[in-house]
Amino acid sequence: MENTSINSSDIIVFMIAGFILIGLMFGFILYFLLSYKSKKKDYNLLVFQKKEIDKQQKALQQTLYELKATQAQLIQSEKMANLGELTAGIAHEIQNPLNFVNNFAEVSIELLGEMKEELDGGKTENTQEIMKDVISNLDKIKHHGKRADAIVKGMLQHSRISNGNAELTDINALCDEYLRLSYHGLRAKDKSFNASLNTGFDPTIPQIKIVPQDIGRVVLNLLTNAFYAVNQRAKLNEEGYKPTVGIKSRLIKDKVEITVTDNGNGIPADVVEHIFQPFFTTKPTGEGTGLGLSLSFDIITKGHQGKLTVDTDIGQGSVFKISLPVT
Amino acid sequence: MFLSVYHTFYYSSLFICAVVSLSMIKGLSPSFRWLAVLVVLTLVVEVGAKYVAYCFDTSNSAVYHVFTPIEFLFYTLIYALLVDDSKWIKVFWFCWFTLVVSEVINTLYVQPLGVSNTNIMMMESVMLVFFSLVLFLKIKESMEYENLLIESVFWFNSIILVYYASNILIWGFHSIKIYNLTDPPTLIYDVNLMLSGILYLVFSFAIFLNYKSSSNN
Repeated sequence: MENTSINSSDIIVFMIAGFILIGLMFGFILYFLLSYKSKKKDYNLLVFQKKEIDKQQKALQQTLYELKATQAQLIQSEKMANLGELTAGIAHEIQNPLNFVNNFAEVSIELLGEMKEELDGGKTENTQEIMKDVISNLDKIKHHGKRADAIVKGMLQHSRISNGNAELTDINALCDEYLRLSYHGLRAKDKSFNASLNTGFDPTIPQIKIVPQDIGRVVLNLLTNAFYAVNQRAKLNEEGYKPTVGIKSRLIKDKVEITVTDNGNGIPADVVEHIFQPFFTTKPTGEGTGLGLSLSFDIITKGHQGKLTVDTDIGQGSVFKISLPVT
Repeated sequence: MFLSVYHTFYYSSLFICAVVSLSMIKGLSPSFRWLAVLVVLTLVVEVGAKYVAYCFDTSNSAVYHVFTPIEFLFYTLIYALLVDDSKWIKVFWFCWFTLVVSEVINTLYVQPLGVSNTNIMMMESVMLVFFSLVLFLKIKESMEYENLLIESVFWFNSIILVYYASNILIWGFHSIKIYNLTDPPTLIYDVNLMLSGILYLVFSFAIFLNYKSSSNN
C-alpha cells in the first residue's frame, strides 16, 4: 500500500467539493419544496373542484330521482284525468243496459203476475205464451247485464297499470268504444254540446298485437282533444258551423292507420311544433297537464314502433294519424 | 475520552436524540419508532466502541464492519414503511442484501476488520441517497401533506439526503482505494462529526414533529 501524504491543495479540493455538494443538496431540497408547494396548490384546487363536481353530481342525481318520481306521478295524474274524462261516458253507457234490465224486469214481473192469475183461474191456454215472453225477457236482461259487465271491466282495464304486455286486439272495436265513451263523457258534462260523429272502420283489419290500455289512452286523448277543439269553435257561434269529429281506420299494406279528424279551429303553426313536447298545453290552467300528446307520442313511437303525425289547417281543423305495424 | 469540540458536539447531539427518542418512542409512528431504536442503538454502539478503543488502545473499526449492515437494515425498514410501495420495497431489500454480501467480500479481501470499512460506508451512503430520492418522488406523487415544513418525513428525508451525499464525498476522500491515504487528515473526521451532529439534531426535531402529529391524530 502506497503511503501518500496529504497537502493543502487536497484539503481545498475537499472543502470546495463539499460545499458544492451540500449546496446542490440544499438547492434540490429547496426546489423540491417550492415545486411541491405549487403543485399542492393546483392539487388542492383540483380536489376542491372534484368535490364540487361530486356534490353537484349528487344533487343532480337527487333531482333526477325527484324528476322521475314526479314524472311517474304526472303520468298517473294524466291517466286519472283520462279516467275522469271517461267516467261520465261510462255512466251513460251503463245507464242504457241498466234501463233495459229494469224495463225487462218490470215487464217480466207483470207477465208472471198475469200468468199466476191465469193459473189461479184454472186457465192454461195463455201460460205457454207468457212463459215464452218471460224467458225472452230474461235473455235480454242477461244480455244487457253482460254489456254492463263488459263496460265496467273495460273501465277497470283502463285504470289498471299497464303491464306492457302486447296482446291481439280488435282495433276497430277499441276505437269505437273510446269514441262513444269520450263523446258521452263530454255530453254528460256539457248538455248543450252536440257533434256529428263520423266513423269509418275497415273491416279487413286483422287483430293486431298492441298494449290495449296504452293505445286506448292515445285514442281517447286524441278524441278528447278533437271534441275540445270543435267545442271551442262551437262556442264562437259561427253561422252554419256543425261540429264534426271522425275516427277512421284502414289497412295500408302492413300498417294500420287510425285517423282522428275534427273541424275545429286548427292549430297555429307556432303551436303545432310544440304539441308533442311534455308540459306544453294551450288549455287554461287546471284543464290540461300538457302530457297527453307527449305521452301519446311516446306510446306510439317508442312503445309500438309506430308513427303519430298531425296535419292541420287554420279554420279547417286537424287530422291526427296513428300508424301502427301489423306484425 | 472525548478528544475535541467536534466529538463533544457529535456525542451531545446523539445523546439528546437518544433521550428524545426514548421519551417519545410510544407516541411515534412505526417508521419513526424504528428510527428511535436505531438512534439509541447507535449511541450504545458509539459509546461502546469509543470505550473499547480508549481502554484497550486498539482500533474500533471492527465494530463498524458489523454495525454498518445493521444500521442499513434499520434504514431499509424505515424507508420500506415510509414509501409503502411493494415495487420499491423489493428494490430496497435487494440493496440491503447487496450491501451485506459486499461487506463480507470487502472484509475478506479489501478492508479487513482492523481497517475502516469506508467502501461499504460509501456504498451505504449511495444507497441511502437513492432511497431518499425515491421517498421524495413518492411524497410528490401522493400530495398527501399540506405543509412539508411541519412534516417529520420531510425533515428526516432531507437530512438523510444531505448527510449521506456528503458522506459519499467524505468516505471517498478517506478511502485508501480512491486516494491511497493511509493517514487521512483529521479535517475529514471533523467535518464528518459536525455533519453527524447536525444529522442527530435534525432527527430529534423530526422525531418531535412525528410525536406531535401522531398524538394530534
